Amino acid sequence: MRVGGDTSEFRLTIPSQTRYLNLVTAVAKRGAVAAGLDDSTAAKVSIAMDEAVTNVILHAYHGEGDHQVEIGLNFTPSRMEIHIWHSGEGMRDDQILLPDPSEYVKHPRKGGLGLLLMSRFMDEVRFHQGVGRSECCMIKRIP
Amino acid sequence: MADLSIQVREADGVSILKPSGFVNAHTVRQFEEALERLVEAKRYAILLNCSDLAYISSAGLGAIMGLVETVRGNGGDILLCDLQENVFAIFDTLGFTQLYRVFPSEAEALAVLSGEA
Repeated sequence: MRVGGDTSEFRLTIPSQTRYLNLVTAVAKRGAVAAGLDDSTAAKVSIAMDEAVTNVILHAYHGEGDHQVEIGLNFTPSRMEIHIWHSGEGMRDDQILLPDPSEYVKHPRKGGLGLLLMSRFMDEVRFHQGVGRSECCMIKRIP
Repeated sequence: MADLSIQVREADGVSILKPSGFVNAHTVRQFEEALERLVEAKRYAILLNCSDLAYISSAGLGAIMGLVETVRGNGGDILLCDLQENVFAIFDTLGFTQLYRVFPSEAEALAVLSGEA
């Protein structure tokens, strides 16, 4: 963990295995509470973390468990940032198509729900596809 | 503590499935198999008691969605009760509270189901 001025940064690297989801969601929840978010909001942040890391493991790495997922939590007085980096198949913002909840209720289907939860529970969700390294960044503002 | 444990019992002709812990991509197969066993046994009145469910991710919601059509097609339903605040938020955010009947307590859900029998 790095602390400097009004910001602090925490990094964690896990194998690309779903058994570590509980660990990263617990870290996100504790971090959100420590940042000043209420328990209900912190729970939502932890769910967004679960969905984002699950996407990396299952979709970017296609379920292969021998890769790494790097997670960074950055805190400032006004916001909590979650960064998730990986070297698997990346996504760009323009590839994201969120289901319309009203249409979804009329025609339920699997798929896209995780991204929808991430976008509803966080204030910003962005994807960046780089050379050999991609990132999902989620931001929650602290009131 | 295990990530997920699941109790299944019968009451008034209803199969009550009570998951304790987390349903996410790591545990969803266990959750899905418990539901599938009920459907294979032709137990189509299913109540998910969520009082000990810490959270459910989209993977778990997908498991419910994958079976609800079969259940309803056989005259049954999957109902939910006792949702914790954050679990309710997940269901509500995705519109699942319009797709599934949600009850405050197991007793209230069973009373409604017994009236429909």
